[in-house]
Amino acid sequence: MSYVRSFLGFWYDFLVGDRPELFAGPIVALFLAWLAVRAGVQAPIIGATLFILVSSVGGLSIAWAVRR
Amino acid sequence: MSSITFVTIVSSFLASSVEFVEAVTIVLAVGVTRQWRSALIGAFAALVALALLVGIFGTAIILFVPIDVVRLVVGGFLIIYGLQWLTRAVLRAGGAMAKRDEAAVYEREISALQDEPPVPSSGMDWISFTVAAKGVLLEGLEVAFIVVTFGASAGMLGPAALGAAVAGALVLGIAFLVHRPLSAVPENGLKFAVGVMLTGFGTFWAGEGVGIDWPAGDAAILALLAGYVVLAILGVYLVRTHISNWGVRVVEASREPLR
Repeated sequence: MSYVRSFLGFWYDFLVGDRPELFAGPIVALFLAWLAVRAGVQAPIIGATLFILVSSVGGLSIAWAVRR
Repeated sequence: MSSITFVTIVSSFLASSVEFVEAVTIVLAVGVTRQWRSALIGAFAALVALALLVGIFGTAIILFVPIDVVRLVVGGFLIIYGLQWLTRAVLRAGGAMAKRDEAAVYEREISALQDEPPVPSSGMDWISFTVAAKGVLLEGLEVAFIVVTFGASAGMLGPAALGAAVAGALVLGIAFLVHRPLSAVPENGLKFAVGVMLTGFGTFWAGEGVGIDWPAGDAAILALLAGYVVLAILGVYLVRTHISNWGVRVVEASREPLR
């Protein structure tokens, strides 16, 4: 059991670490892009929105890190 | 050679160079302090394990997972991983986070190794083997992750692995010649470039995975990369401005062994 916990802990640290917003943010951005594709929104608008959302996640994370 | 092949090799080469520089620091410290033979065998064993991981997982993903699923999942991971590298590079370039100092890491490793039991007079020194293997495996895992994800998304596992192998040979060769940590390598600049590439390509591939038909096709990658470069440079400027106006506590780089 402790091996499983260590294994999962390693991957959590590897992919999420101390900044979970960088893990959750892109997933939410891609989900919104998927919804927009299903809703028939034009591709250039979805592409630009995805870029803005991903950039915003990075920007917010940097802002939080500086203010911490 | 197509532009995607070239970019795959370059991205893998740059990412791997940074990680191999960090791994070599540990192997050098072990070799100098304890026993070269066991340290090199440990490093070699870790490299073989990493090559197997890349071969098995990379091939399995390419052969058995539909390309749209690969691009969505792996592209998503590339965005996550790229943002981690890029935001840390921005924070370091802006002065909000201490840059990694290979010489300091080297001294710390040597000091920690001096507390270990003495080297056996003959045969294998398992402490040297374990510390070197663990160091190479942990640093190399990031390389393996990037090679597999980048190679699988682009359908170019071979070029991605080639970039990593060339970086490894180059860094190991230089370290063997100079026999000290490669402190002069601009690690943060490399991480900045790799972060932009991973985030840009990740956005493109994950976007294709969710069904976005990018305008201008592959040329959209260039627009994404240019956009992320501009925003990252703006981020460095804003962090610097914030620090000069308000000051900030510098986070120790040594707290983040994996990044």
